[in-house]
Amino acid sequence: MTDLTLEGVSKLYEETAALREVDLSVADGEFFTLVGPSGCGKTTTLRTIAGFEEPTSGSVRFDGEEMTGVPPEDRDVGVVFQNYALFPHMTVAENVGYGLRFRDPPAGTSRKERVSELLELVDLAGMGERQPSQLSGGQQQRVSLARALAPEPSLLLLDEPMSALDARLRETLRRQVKRIQSELEITTVYVTHDQAEALAISDRVAVMHAGNVEQVGTPKEIYRRPATRFVAEFVGDNNVFEGEVLERSGDEIRVRISSSEFVLPDSSGVGDAGTGLESGDRLTFCIRPEALTPTAETNRFPVTVETSEFLGESVRVHGRWNDTPIVLRLEEPPATEELTVGFAPNGAHVVEFDVDFDAEFE
Amino acid sequence: MDRRTFIRTVSGGTAGIALAGCLTQDDDENGNGNGDENGNGNGEDDENGNGNDNGNETDNGDEEEQEDEPDLEGTLRVATYTSMVDDEEAAGTWLKDAFEEEYPDATIDWTVPEEGTSHYIQQANQGVDIDADVFLGLNVDDLVLIDDNTDESLFRSVDRDRLEHVDRIRDDPSVEFDDPHDRVLPYDTGYISLVYDENEVDDPETFDALTDEEYEGTLITQNAQQSDPGQAFLLWTIDAYGEDGYLDYWEELLDNDVRIIDDWSSAYSAYENEERPMVVSYSTDQVYTNRFDGDMSRSQIGFLEEQGYANPEGMAIFEDSEQVDLANAFLDFVLSNEAQAEIAVRNVQFPAVADEYVDLDEDYAEYAHEPPEAVSLTYDELSGNLDEWVDDWGQLVASR
Amino acid sequence: MTTGPLGSGSPRGRGRGYDWLERHALQLTALLTAAVLGVMLYLPVGVVFAEALFLDGRLSLAHFREVLTDPFYFGVLASVFADPLAVGSHYASLVDWILAGFPSFRMGLFGFTAYQAALSTVASLALGLPAAYILANYEFRGRRTIRSLTILPFVLPGIMVAVGFYAMFGQAGTLNTILGVVGLGPFRFIERNPLAIVIVAHAFYNAPLIARITVAAWESVDVRALETARSLGASPRRAFADVVVPQLLPAITTGALLTFIFTFMTFPIVLALGGLQLATVEVWVYARIQRLDFAEAATLAILETIVSLALTYAYLRYESAQAGMSRAATPPPRERLFPDLRTVLEPRRLAIVGYGVVALVVFVGPMASMVIGSVTDGSGFTLRHYEFLVQRQAEGATYQTLPWPAIRNSLLFGVATLFVAMPMGVVISVLTTRSGRGRDQSGRWATVIDTLAMLPLAVSGIVFGIGLLRGLVFGIPLVGGWRLQVTGVVAIVAAHAVAAYPFVTRNVSPLLADLDPSLVESARSLGASRYRALLDVELPLVASGIVAGAAFAFAISIGEFSSTVILASGGDTYTMPVAVERYLGRRNGPAIAMGTVLLVITGLSFVVVDRVGGRFERD
Repeated sequence: MTDLTLEGVSKLYEETAALREVDLSVADGEFFTLVGPSGCGKTTTLRTIAGFEEPTSGSVRFDGEEMTGVPPEDRDVGVVFQNYALFPHMTVAENVGYGLRFRDPPAGTSRKERVSELLELVDLAGMGERQPSQLSGGQQQRVSLARALAPEPSLLLLDEPMSALDARLRETLRRQVKRIQSELEITTVYVTHDQAEALAISDRVAVMHAGNVEQVGTPKEIYRRPATRFVAEFVGDNNVFEGEVLERSGDEIRVRISSSEFVLPDSSGVGDAGTGLESGDRLTFCIRPEALTPTAETNRFPVTVETSEFLGESVRVHGRWNDTPIVLRLEEPPATEELTVGFAPNGAHVVEFDVDFDAEFE
Repeated sequence: MDRRTFIRTVSGGTAGIALAGCLTQDDDENGNGNGDENGNGNGEDDENGNGNDNGNETDNGDEEEQEDEPDLEGTLRVATYTSMVDDEEAAGTWLKDAFEEEYPDATIDWTVPEEGTSHYIQQANQGVDIDADVFLGLNVDDLVLIDDNTDESLFRSVDRDRLEHVDRIRDDPSVEFDDPHDRVLPYDTGYISLVYDENEVDDPETFDALTDEEYEGTLITQNAQQSDPGQAFLLWTIDAYGEDGYLDYWEELLDNDVRIIDDWSSAYSAYENEERPMVVSYSTDQVYTNRFDGDMSRSQIGFLEEQGYANPEGMAIFEDSEQVDLANAFLDFVLSNEAQAEIAVRNVQFPAVADEYVDLDEDYAEYAHEPPEAVSLTYDELSGNLDEWVDDWGQLVASR
Repeated sequence: MTTGPLGSGSPRGRGRGYDWLERHALQLTALLTAAVLGVMLYLPVGVVFAEALFLDGRLSLAHFREVLTDPFYFGVLASVFADPLAVGSHYASLVDWILAGFPSFRMGLFGFTAYQAALSTVASLALGLPAAYILANYEFRGRRTIRSLTILPFVLPGIMVAVGFYAMFGQAGTLNTILGVVGLGPFRFIERNPLAIVIVAHAFYNAPLIARITVAAWESVDVRALETARSLGASPRRAFADVVVPQLLPAITTGALLTFIFTFMTFPIVLALGGLQLATVEVWVYARIQRLDFAEAATLAILETIVSLALTYAYLRYESAQAGMSRAATPPPRERLFPDLRTVLEPRRLAIVGYGVVALVVFVGPMASMVIGSVTDGSGFTLRHYEFLVQRQAEGATYQTLPWPAIRNSLLFGVATLFVAMPMGVVISVLTTRSGRGRDQSGRWATVIDTLAMLPLAVSGIVFGIGLLRGLVFGIPLVGGWRLQVTGVVAIVAAHAVAAYPFVTRNVSPLLADLDPSLVESARSLGASRYRALLDVELPLVASGIVAGAAFAFAISIGEFSSTVILASGGDTYTMPVAVERYLGRRNGPAIAMGTVLLVITGLSFVVVDRVGGRFERD
């Protein structure tokens, strides 16, 4: 099996940098997801791994072996694209079997057997003679997956494979991909802009932004302890506050926002780097909607309700406190336009602080 | 000479890429040849060059010695124009057969360079082996073009002593080349005239008449920049109105809506389809009309000012030909009685020799008309002027 | 799942050498293409172009200054070129001109050449687009054959077109004969407006080109987009304008560009039909070459080339901006042209019938008149011209031009050209569209390369011919006293391929650029080399462009005259157009008969090429 390492990978297009010194390592058999908004560099990273792009600097290694300069056909990777990229002039079986023209099927299996084996794996048994245009989008994507897997690649790369499909199909296919991946134990790099998908499917996630990796971690780490303000805002719903440190005492930090004061636990995300924090510094923290409740006794403030969305098991409420947008997760829709909410100190997570933070945010 | 033959064989190969040495010692007499271009710096070249020179001189010596018994063996490469070999009754076919019958050890190789004489001017200027011994089909303006564009001496002077039939040539401006170097012998001549449809127009008879209202929009001529009859017609007007007057005359012609079509074929095609009732063509037009069962009333010959512009065709031997004996024999053969008759009839031209040295069909005389007076500009008149005349004329026409 | 990154599934067992070859096939083809272009195009053209840049052995722009400031060449612009900094006075004369109510002004040779080229382009579009519309949208008997035959005018030697036009439109021509039957005419079609007839002749050559390229694009229109537009409430006309037109525009613009360049460089047709009063720049290039004034000829030719390449560059920038994502071609279904008698009277069908009559007159007329000309002489019907061909074949001497070798060589060179020009054209398409599409900075450079690749169309044919003679037939002097000579069959095919490959590129590039790049990337990640991906995936998907390009390549080779005749240099490697020219004598009959043979043989070949090629198309 294969592990994957990217070290200091940069990619420049004309003047602009698509990737800046990206370091990543993906373990053998791991399901690893690159997530971020469009233009963040996640697809470029995937294309660099596949060999479609050469990095401007840095190194890509499979099992420690340098891949720079190795053409895609020699990298032994399977790639699934957003738009399926099935060869329209070939049947489904010919598509799936295409890679076997260049690499032998596993020992003891004929090419034909391998093709039907793969079609079975993606629940398309018997569809081999169809033309790709006769299949639905979801079926086409499964053909594409079967095609990528047929030559037993050591690395599976999926580039937004679900984004052309409707929501229900995505979920089904997502589970199918995950099932196949864990069955085959194949090292997988998955690119998506959908953070929920990323959290749902991955062993580990890298959040990318503007050519940088903002944070790498398990879905839980990414969700609970976002490393940067960007991650906090990008992954899941979140409430982000920015204030001025009033006092740091014991295991608490007191922060002032407008005329209100809040108490945060000293340990919440500040870590060792936070030791220099003192009064007068700017600080950004976030609170997940589910931690912000009308019943909390501490850190209370009023919210003007603007809209609410009924989600079934809960209600998502968008509102405003002064200029700060607020999102809440309640069990019932709010009865009044004004309500007061609060959070427990340990419900907050500090994501950013800056000794010289200017009034940029206001 | 073996070396040169060898080189020629190699470079003559048509398969793909052929490499050929370029030790062309073009000028036996002048000795200034192309050594400047190719021989600089390379000792080996010089050596070979010298060797060749010596060889040539020996050869020349041989020629002189053997004057009584000329070398009439081998291949004679004769450059000419397409219709000489490709016409329905191509004169070239007859010439080759008859000549080879007369000289059983000789072979004629026809070569038809696309660019005519300019092919050889460029070869000479670039120091490339001239790949022909004789050029058959020179006009006076070819000589002018040659002398204006190359310092090389392309053709040798006629060796009149060795040509039996040379004195038979007519003493007549219609076959005169007036070449100061006496390089060319005429073998036939033709006259540019008008061909008109007598159902539509009367013979205009004079140049001035062509500018009258009566003849407005009636005449087709050819582009003097690229067509022989077109150029001849232009030169005819220069002969008539002088260097200073011809452009004024052409202004009037253009005002009278003359059409100037690129070449003879298109112009004649336009005439045949009755676009206009008059075209500049050859005075032998009726020979073809007769041959192709055409309508004689549409093939009337008009000699303006009772003249026809003579366009003699000539032949010359290339300076560095190694088959001078055979070439001379060929030239002499072309001037023989039988050949003159055949060429005249097949090319539909007039013989270059005086009447008593050629027997032409009665029929032929009936349809091939000769003008009362032949005019033409001489080498001296054309030399240094031709380019400018044609260019000024072209600019006048194209600017309208 | 147990092997390392390079281990899993070893490449299937072919020889190492084969593997290497396949892996580098594209680069090798590119190198070979560059070598062929270097020897067969850049070298000969460079030899002549260099003459423009030197005066008395020193680098100089004097020749250009002379031409640019000569009102004969540049009309009113000459004074601007003469004194480019005198903006004030130029501006004043412009204002004067506008105030005088835009009186006609002196265009100069270049101005007139561009003017007639623009008119010819408009006329070719006007005649070509309806043909494309009908061929793409209606089903009728012989549709495929007519589509195949559309490029036929392309192969006709200029002199034959002139002869055909006189025979069709002359006062005693076919058209007047037909009109005479119903008591009309005779009309002086040619005499009345020579410029108009030249433009019609240009349309005769180029409208089929526009039609052929546009039909290929029309057949790859995605009908689903059209249906979507209709379902969103667009009227048929609106849906056509919003959906179909944008998909056709690149093809139409390509056709228009090629037409403009061709007619900008036009030569024999203008003089043969219009006369010297309508002279173009190329006429002067020819006149200068005749007089061996290479410096001025080269200067004029370079300026022509600059104009053509500048247009090409502008177009290619536009084309690359158009390149989109793959569209699965589901062309609109074809309607029957005349399902029943009553529909003939529908306005749309009447218009089609009207166009059919115009096409009959403009395209079929001259060719048919030529055929008639081949079987008539002064006294009516005759077979003597064909007897001449038969007799020449039977009895002709080896140094004479024989019909059969001409036919054989034409077909042989045509097929060989097709096989050489296709890889050349495709490799240039691949190199320019791939990097042009990628996000690499090479986009602009790809356009520059693509533009330069169009050089064969943008260089004066006369200059090219003289360059071949001086460069390759006479030989290029090398060190050590050797000369490099390139003549004969290989050289002819190479020269034809050089002239033909731009058509392959222009037909293939737009389709290739439209393909989804992830198709190739998928293939490569599955183990296919770049070359295999091209062969297995891209080429089958752009087959309609390849077939169209192949047909053009074949046509170019068949019709080519000047380089063939120069490179044949005396051998028996002449082709049909060369034979036509050599049979021209004091009566045109034999040449017209040979021209008719050329017409028939090429017509049959096109049908075969298209039928064979059609198997690879998906339609």
